[in-house]
Amino acid sequence: MRVGPIVARIRSPFRVVESALRLHYAADALAPDGDFVDFDVSVDAPIGVRRYVRPQAVFRFEGREPFKPLPASQAFPLLEWGLNWCISAHCHQYLIVHAAVVERNDRAMLMPAPPGSGKSTLCAALVARGFRLLSDELALIDIATGRLVPLPRPISLKNASIGIIESFWKDGTIGAVVDDTVKGAVAHASAPPDSVTRSDEHASPAFVVVPRYRADSEITLEPLSRAAGFMQLADNAFNYSLHGRAGFDALARLIDSSTCFAFTYGGTLDDAVRTLEALYEMKHGGDA
Amino acid sequence: MNRSPLWRPAARDALALREWDDEFVVYNDATGSTHHLNALGGDVLQALLSHPSGIDAHALVDILAKRIEVAPGLSLAAEVAAVLGKLRELDLASSVTG
Repeated sequence: MRVGPIVARIRSPFRVVESALRLHYAADALAPDGDFVDFDVSVDAPIGVRRYVRPQAVFRFEGREPFKPLPASQAFPLLEWGLNWCISAHCHQYLIVHAAVVERNDRAMLMPAPPGSGKSTLCAALVARGFRLLSDELALIDIATGRLVPLPRPISLKNASIGIIESFWKDGTIGAVVDDTVKGAVAHASAPPDSVTRSDEHASPAFVVVPRYRADSEITLEPLSRAAGFMQLADNAFNYSLHGRAGFDALARLIDSSTCFAFTYGGTLDDAVRTLEALYEMKHGGDA
Repeated sequence: MNRSPLWRPAARDALALREWDDEFVVYNDATGSTHHLNALGGDVLQALLSHPSGIDAHALVDILAKRIEVAPGLSLAAEVAAVLGKLRELDLASSVTG
């Protein structure tokens, strides 16, 4: 199947993987036979006793097993994590930042943040209110153009955010909850069909918003210096050092076009979304 | 006669600087590191880059004093000395005895 610029061949004997793929990737195009495959992956049952006793699932990429096996019930999250690893470890034609990216009116908002920051919850909330999803996890930056390349895959939700987004996104599609993963309970929200259909539409950066969730905290949106915004992107990039000077220049051009903020939110998602929507009433992203 | 040490930037071709609103980011190709500098740090580094063969701290302070307004109670010389030490720690500058 094709997801954004990536073509993956996925094999698995697990029904749970098949049903999750049908649910979350229904809108994606099946790549024609003969198309070049970027990632040939599988989620298999391991050889040996773990095939039958407390069954496990193992992720394989081109015959290698980069991770330890997980319980078979976690086969679909394992596939998603495995694809994240494939992309972040191999797609070096892009500068890749650990960030969510949404877009409205060709003005993209990057939200770089480490795990646990509330980035994916905020991303899901913005998408639920009509923002286009480019990615909830991996921002792909075209080094030559500075534009953001869509990779609209299911949004990964964890623990309390699952119920919060289920309530907030009435017409969203959220899959089964998988319990007891290393990240706690995990579920995935499908990328909206429109986000998938527009996978070939790159977006121009306009905002860098560094999110931080603090329960019961007031919402604050504070200007962040562009230099600090640059460092947030560099610190959250998977392959910044690989690109050397070209990576530095690409991030600098992105920051040239962007206005940067530190965003703390708690309380209601409606208020958080409204606060960020108000940024789009600015005349131009990139105005200090 | 003791001569003041001369300060030089790291290899000029190895450094890339960008400035926004009096803050700087600088990339050092020799180390692969990227650093965030405040206004004075960036100004000092830029002054060093303008004197690649070396400049002593007194001359550096004289150049910067013409451009920078120093808050009352602060010594520009002391501030510049601290910045030079920091730039050396970051491998962005080095000193040699003149």
